[in-house]
Amino acid sequence: MNYFGRRLVRALLLLAGVSVLCFLFTEMAPGSFFDEMRLNPQISPETIAALRSHYGLDQPLPVRYLRWVKSVARADLGYSIAYNTPVAPLLWERAKNTLLLTGVGMGVTWLVSVPLGVWIGTRRDRLLDKVVSLGSSLFISIPEVVIGLALLAIVVHWRILPVGGMHSADSDSLSNWLRLKDTFQRLLLPATVLVLVESCVIVRHVRASVIEALQLPSIEAARAFGISNARLLFRHVLPVAASPAISLFGFSLAGLISGSLLVEVICGWPGLGPLILEATLSRDFYLVIGGIMLSGLFMVAGNLIADVMLLATDPRIRVEAADAP
Amino acid sequence: MKVITRLALPVCLLAAACFAATAPDKPQPGEELALAADLSGHSGGHLTIGGRAEPKTFNPVIANDVVSREVTGRLMADLIEINRSSQQTEPALAKSWKVSPDGRVFTLQLRKGIRFSDGHPFDADDVLFSFAVYMDEKVDSPQRDLLIIDGKPITVTKVDQFTVRFTLPRPYAAAERLFDGLAMLPKHLLEEAYRDGKFVEAWTLNTTPQDIAGLGPFRLKQYVPGQKIVLERNPYYWKVDRNHDRLPYLDELVFLFVGTEDAQVMRFEAGETDMISRLSSENYNLIARDHQRSHAQLTDLGPSLEYNFLVFNQNDLSSKKLDTVAQKQKWFRDLKFRQAVSAAVDRDSIVRLVYGTRGAALWGNVGPGNKYWVNSALPHPQRSLDTSKQFLKAAGFSCNRAGQLVDPSGQTVEFSIITSSSNTQRMKMATLLQDDLSQLGMQVHVVPLEFRALIDRVFQSFDYEAAIMGLGGGDADPNPEMNVWTSSGTSHLWHLNETEPDSPWEREVDQLMQQQMVTLDYAKRKKVYDRVQQLVAEHLPFIFLATPNILTAAHPRVGNFHPAILDPYTLWNADELYVRTATETAGAR
Amino acid sequence: MRRRTVALIAMLIALHLALLFAGFIAPYDSTAQNRQIPYAPPTRLHFHDDAGWHPRPFIYPMTVGPDGYVEDKNRSFSLYFLVRGSSYKLLGLFQTNWHLFGVDDPGRIALLGTDGFGRDEFSRVLLGGQISVAAGIAATLIALLVGTVTGVLAGFYGRWVDESLMAGTELFLSLPWLYFLLGVRAFLPLHLSPVATFFLLTGVIGLIGWARPARLVRGIVLSVRTRNSVLAARGFGGSDFYLMCRHILPEVFGVLLTQAALLIPRYIAAEVTLSFFGLGVNEPVSSWGNMLSVLQQYSVLVSYGWLLAPVAALFVTSVIYALLADTLHSRLEFLST
Repeated sequence: MNYFGRRLVRALLLLAGVSVLCFLFTEMAPGSFFDEMRLNPQISPETIAALRSHYGLDQPLPVRYLRWVKSVARADLGYSIAYNTPVAPLLWERAKNTLLLTGVGMGVTWLVSVPLGVWIGTRRDRLLDKVVSLGSSLFISIPEVVIGLALLAIVVHWRILPVGGMHSADSDSLSNWLRLKDTFQRLLLPATVLVLVESCVIVRHVRASVIEALQLPSIEAARAFGISNARLLFRHVLPVAASPAISLFGFSLAGLISGSLLVEVICGWPGLGPLILEATLSRDFYLVIGGIMLSGLFMVAGNLIADVMLLATDPRIRVEAADAP
Repeated sequence: MKVITRLALPVCLLAAACFAATAPDKPQPGEELALAADLSGHSGGHLTIGGRAEPKTFNPVIANDVVSREVTGRLMADLIEINRSSQQTEPALAKSWKVSPDGRVFTLQLRKGIRFSDGHPFDADDVLFSFAVYMDEKVDSPQRDLLIIDGKPITVTKVDQFTVRFTLPRPYAAAERLFDGLAMLPKHLLEEAYRDGKFVEAWTLNTTPQDIAGLGPFRLKQYVPGQKIVLERNPYYWKVDRNHDRLPYLDELVFLFVGTEDAQVMRFEAGETDMISRLSSENYNLIARDHQRSHAQLTDLGPSLEYNFLVFNQNDLSSKKLDTVAQKQKWFRDLKFRQAVSAAVDRDSIVRLVYGTRGAALWGNVGPGNKYWVNSALPHPQRSLDTSKQFLKAAGFSCNRAGQLVDPSGQTVEFSIITSSSNTQRMKMATLLQDDLSQLGMQVHVVPLEFRALIDRVFQSFDYEAAIMGLGGGDADPNPEMNVWTSSGTSHLWHLNETEPDSPWEREVDQLMQQQMVTLDYAKRKKVYDRVQQLVAEHLPFIFLATPNILTAAHPRVGNFHPAILDPYTLWNADELYVRTATETAGAR
Repeated sequence: MRRRTVALIAMLIALHLALLFAGFIAPYDSTAQNRQIPYAPPTRLHFHDDAGWHPRPFIYPMTVGPDGYVEDKNRSFSLYFLVRGSSYKLLGLFQTNWHLFGVDDPGRIALLGTDGFGRDEFSRVLLGGQISVAAGIAATLIALLVGTVTGVLAGFYGRWVDESLMAGTELFLSLPWLYFLLGVRAFLPLHLSPVATFFLLTGVIGLIGWARPARLVRGIVLSVRTRNSVLAARGFGGSDFYLMCRHILPEVFGVLLTQAALLIPRYIAAEVTLSFFGLGVNEPVSSWGNMLSVLQQYSVLVSYGWLLAPVAALFVTSVIYALLADTLHSRLEFLST
């Protein structure tokens, strides 16, 4: 399909653009990985310089970029200086944990928000509408870090849940069921923060588009024809209201890797976020690039999937509908 | 009757088996083991310690971060070790040594009959191999620089199967301290990688445990990425306690990757970890508040060996385009200016507000925690704004009508202090200093920088005016500080890349540091180093601020918990730690 | 509907007035340290003591007791209104030292407690609010300005202008900004005054956020462009610029207003997040963001609850803006159908 082909090419160009910007930004930031050793008076600068050239850090930037592109073509994402292992398996290991968290978060969010948004949209000017409206506005405005910290303080202070990591120390000795339960308990806090933050946005949008759809002349006409409310909802209103929701779904997919950075750092969930954060701060060059490209990949893929779904369901493809407040 | 005799043998065998499983391996004849005469405990059990990050490698030669060294230090052993509690050296793999009268030749006798954790015997060949690796330029080990004195490497020769001779290019005080931290490597496992030039890739995190062997109290059992490292008891360990039971007591030692210090405290309070290595005073007080319930073993070990300081940029900027900074250097180079700043610093408040009173003010580079080397004759002047103002007046500074301080040429005194944004204590010190100096009329801006950016400016580009940093903490001995105080040293922060000392006092410090390096007698050496401290405190290349106390915590069931102020604070005696029984724990409360 | 809008706008104006006059309402400067009383709990106002009931409230100073702070009942300081205190610039113009209320030295009134340096939290919340809300508003203006211009251009000219601008927005939306900012913060010049830092911060937030308004505006322009009135005007010889100003922009205006009401609290939150990571306004200038970053330490979070005051302030601000946005949206919906 021509449209799909064009979008695919655009997506690839986008990824290339992200990679170039990545290299530029990480290069502009001063300092290199081995700078920490400067503080040790017993290590000479010559040793540090030798280590730098050992890892190819003193090559000019375009050379490094081309070498990286060539190795990516061979599915080799480079080498992490800090861990002395290839980047790809390192990323994959942590990405699994992140995807578990965001997958659960996204699933719960959508399962809760869509019915809630539809239900509120079909009954306007009731108390619930006001409450949810207000609540969602608030949660959008309060930064994720604050929500995370507040919940963390409550959970730890009253010892409601274990926090941090994915398993407890002696998880090997536990039965499978108990181990699952343990992981689930530790997942609960970060997932709750994610759900709170994401569902606000989605509930608002679903509600708004349902309301908008309900006011269309076609719906008025259908109602005048005596079509029942339920059938009206499912056959006429939802398909119209669906397209902005699909764009949002694409955004959700896009954020599967990168959306949970703050939450993972605050709650100690061993995902991609803390890994890349530490790598950025310690200038572990290829690990940072690899991580950013991975999240960029998800972002682009998510948008692409959303576009395809939109194409399939809504021939109008009006992009602005997705952004209605 | 017959039944009993029939049952007797299986029962005895069973009992023997049980006994053998729980009892430590009995020392074999022919093993020369180290005896810890005051030590006792029970064997069995495991302890968990939380770690701030994951180690990056299991290779002791290239491990240069704190966490990796914490793990490899439990797997490996050295020829001579520094007892962290007494700060003196002790025989380890070398059971004794002789020093030549000129202090240049060390002949070490190795323990006989010792094995690596995989059962392979240890002898002088492993020692020679290890040192060859450390000193190999292609390996680029950070420890290589320790073995090069005056540009010439130490030579290592094998005298016989269990005797090794080290020849230093010139006498070096406390040379035996060099051996601590140089782990002895198993030649039989690493020689191939070394010969193939692939040593740097050996013993990465995904190495199978069977391929790693050392002489330390533990050996690697399991590594779960992102989660934990499990170490198990080394059945061939060369130390025994006073009952001649082989150490370590613990069956397993688990490192749990927990992340930030706050997360560590949370897991400690939840009972998931048994020890915390270093705490901030706020977290210490938090755990202390819960003490009634938890009965945690909290230890405040007193001031650490670190020193935090404010440094003014006195580098030679003639080849760089840093005019604004260069202009301000005429203030920074004026001793009276620095004396005024030092007199205005409210060190009491730093100790109270930054360290929650668990710290000590500093006026020199050696603090009260270093009991062997501190020069206690140095004055500790109290904060006095009047003294500051007198110094400033003598230097030609005055206040203009708006209350701002101006220099003799009329320029207002304004500068920035950079500090690491990730270090909350130094950020707080910067804010306090800013307020202190504003009372003199100085306008100070605090600029938090990301750590590596800070290092880049201080060591490389010199694009900064003042910085708050910290050094020290490695060892109590003055030798590691050579590079800070000698004028050509690479950590001579306030004026790097000097071709020759730029003032009489720096020349004197150079001479003194060289002198102390070759003075073998402790008393004479201390006198020399005392004079160094005096010169540093008088000429203020750094304006010293404060040092934190070392604070540790452990679960009540941890036995033989004796933390020390030298790194690794809680694990240095990992081979002596044991799990107390319930009655012992209750008794200790 | 009208009454509610008016009420909300009144509340908004009251909030902003309070922030504008923060220097007057706050008893102390945001940088004034009092190192004897770090982390002191909020001062209690008393009306009653052994002598009886007093119409004028008074406070007892805090001293350190064995278990924390206790009130020193031996001394008391009365609360006065319209006092003279530290000097500041009202509205940035007039140098004055009048304050709404205060107590005599050496008493300190800390209605919301003190922070780790003994600085009054109440003053810091007010003065910090100036920075945070101003950052939010400024960033919103930048985002809306850039977004409108690009959206109008994209929607009006269509085809390759549209494609390239929309690709640009996608690029911006795809970049994980936090990682970049963390790395880039380092190479900014040292000699940035707090004002310059502030503008840089708002610029960054605004620039990250222009993509969404751009898409919105583009959508509206696309639908308006084909209207009969516009086609007629073009037929009459109207230039592009004229059409944009007279026909397109007024349509966009309503949406922009709603977007503004929505974005301002979100950008205030963005400032808070950035300052949290040390990328925002620096010490000793206070902003809600850097006041909250202290709470990253768990021990502080659970021991000194009054330091969560900026969250309450953020809460109140967001409520008002959110309600306003909702009202505006429903009003504008009315208008558009």
